Amino acid sequence: MAVGPHVLEAAGLPRPGRLTRVREWWEQEHVFGYSLILPALLLIVCLVAYPFGMAIYFSLSDTWVGSPGEFIGLQNFRDILGNEIFQQTVYNSFVFTSIAVVLKTVLGLWLAMLLFRTLRLKRVIRGAVLLPWVIPTALSTLAWWWMFDSLYSVVNWTAIGLGIIDAPGPNWLGQKYHAMAAVIAVNVWRGLPFFAVIVLAGLVSIPREFYEAAEVDGAGAWGRFRNVTLPLLKPVLAVVILFSTIFTFADFNIVYVLTRGGPVNTTHLFATLAYQVGLTGGNLGQGAAISLFLFPILAAVVFIQLRYIRRE
Amino acid sequence: MDTSALRITDRRQFLRSAGGATVGMASWLALGQAPAFAQKRELTFLSWNHFVPASDEELRKQAEAFAKQAGVSVRVDTIAHLQLDAKFAAEAQSQSGHDMIRTHNVVPFLYEHLLADVSDVVAKLGKQYGGWYPFAAEAHETKNGWRGVPWFWISFPATYNETHFKKAGFKETPKTWDDLLKMGRTLKGQGNPVGIPVSHCSDANTTFWSIQWCYGGKVLEADGRTPGINSDKTAQVIELYKALYKDAMEPEVLSWDDASNNRFILSGKGSWIHNPISPYNAALAKKMPVADDINHHNSPGGPAGIHSAPPILGLGIWKFSKNVEVAKEFIQFLFRKENYDAWIVASNAFNHPPLKHLADHPIWARNAKLAMLPAEAQYAHPRGWPAKPNPSVQLIDSNYILPDMVAKAINGMPTKRAMAWAQDQIALAVQGKLKAAG
Repeated sequence: MAVGPHVLEAAGLPRPGRLTRVREWWEQEHVFGYSLILPALLLIVCLVAYPFGMAIYFSLSDTWVGSPGEFIGLQNFRDILGNEIFQQTVYNSFVFTSIAVVLKTVLGLWLAMLLFRTLRLKRVIRGAVLLPWVIPTALSTLAWWWMFDSLYSVVNWTAIGLGIIDAPGPNWLGQKYHAMAAVIAVNVWRGLPFFAVIVLAGLVSIPREFYEAAEVDGAGAWGRFRNVTLPLLKPVLAVVILFSTIFTFADFNIVYVLTRGGPVNTTHLFATLAYQVGLTGGNLGQGAAISLFLFPILAAVVFIQLRYIRRE
Repeated sequence: MDTSALRITDRRQFLRSAGGATVGMASWLALGQAPAFAQKRELTFLSWNHFVPASDEELRKQAEAFAKQAGVSVRVDTIAHLQLDAKFAAEAQSQSGHDMIRTHNVVPFLYEHLLADVSDVVAKLGKQYGGWYPFAAEAHETKNGWRGVPWFWISFPATYNETHFKKAGFKETPKTWDDLLKMGRTLKGQGNPVGIPVSHCSDANTTFWSIQWCYGGKVLEADGRTPGINSDKTAQVIELYKALYKDAMEPEVLSWDDASNNRFILSGKGSWIHNPISPYNAALAKKMPVADDINHHNSPGGPAGIHSAPPILGLGIWKFSKNVEVAKEFIQFLFRKENYDAWIVASNAFNHPPLKHLADHPIWARNAKLAMLPAEAQYAHPRGWPAKPNPSVQLIDSNYILPDMVAKAINGMPTKRAMAWAQDQIALAVQGKLKAAG
């Protein structure tokens, strides 16, 4: 802790020089502490708060790229709400997110429990499982896009070869249900490792004694899972579901690469529609308004989840 | 060993560096200027990944030659064509980025207030090479002057597999869209369907505009403000698409992107697509046997004649650029006859000059498969026609309203309802823009 000049005077020591005094001021805990977080704060202000403020400003104006706009109040939001493409996008986003998150939760839990077992080459397998999450999404989605291609679909080719479907097989990216299934499948494939690894960490932290006690009480595998694993994993699961819901709602790459929102807007999500209207189409005001619709939805998700976690 | 002194020194050093970096970054942001060491006289040009890569190689070669001659450095950045619009938007909003951009369709109108007036260059080049094609001029001349120099246009003819046509007993190619439907039925019957994308891709827009005009239909009225799609003419177009989809095409057209029709014809399965000559060039470059089967014919017509909506590309210079004059010199350098000719050759006849005298190049006449391409110029209009190009056209195209209307009808929505839906969407696109324009 820094020693003040009066203390030094009282002790009969010479009064410190100006530089020393500045240093002492600097090394006070509250000054030093805030200076440490200043760069981070500056970055958040520049890269998060400023764009967010600009998005709010744009959404309340009729700004187009290349021409300044005027304040129009909530007109953009009214226009969007009345637009069928936006209504379709809201529906798509909820269908996409809910199905994808449920699948990721169930499969992620399952995968984590498999990885938890003592397997040969455990480390290699655990590393390999992370691959879909590590590869840049745009690249891996391109591979999926090729697999769903209308002419050369390896998915159809395999299914026809195995006798599961008849030739020529579904047009994955050209029919609305198939296209939605395709984007969900890729999202689940990509998001699964995130779930599995975090749940695995949760599993590792459960004391073995609980299982032993349950076994002594005569609990079978299902009983142990239901009465020990699941209750103790709940906080971890809640956090991972919260994060996954946010990531999934705000997904962009998968839809943009696979379908560009098609067929007939049946796979558009908030981010892809906002990009299309605001950046490609040039209507920045409406684009910003579309992307801001995500904010209250995600805020509600965060609020509910955090309350739940706290109660737990 | 006591390392506390060392730690303090490290911490101080760290704070000094971090503080310096923060102040440096703040001043950079405040001044809107890169640090001095990064400042060099450099002309930067944002273009697309050309569908014929050799064309970009030639462009870079010419850029280098210009750089040497003018004593500057020239950087040509190329990105995927679908990403250009977002990049333009970012550069326009931040008032920084490249000096020059490769514009397309209504971009000169969308950024009318941010692109430099290039009327002087346009006048000089027009005089030198016998004048601009009217459609190229219409796509770049705003009411406040030329906001881009027309660079090239891409003819959008029909690309077909001659062998499949012969096998089906056809001696002629389709002159009208109706002919295409009739022939397409036979071709699909023999296992070689035709293909027009009805999906979220640029080609789907291009072909719809063409067919719509061939049937006398419009998307916007001439005033540019009134949606004009809800008409009997459009109903005929939709019925044509429905019949083509059912009898002559396969459902895959609903999921196509801009490269799908190329793959379709190159696979040897497809018999006919509406597309520039890129598949033919790709087949030649990769020495694919299908190159011998591929041929081209002019875009089909309809009751109102032949019309087409080829991509029209230009060279724009941002007003915020500090190199406006150098950029103008560079543009004129690219338009030197020897340079432009070399560039046409590099693209293997893909790049069409918007200037009449430059279009005399023998490359088209000497290849029977390409000879009809220059004639496409007489059918061309900018998107939006008969209205003048305007930013709402950008929103209509980028929201894929036109192919979506057709896809809705194909998927079972009554034609009238599909048209009413499109009419509403176009009204929204127009309404948003006109408010902004005041």
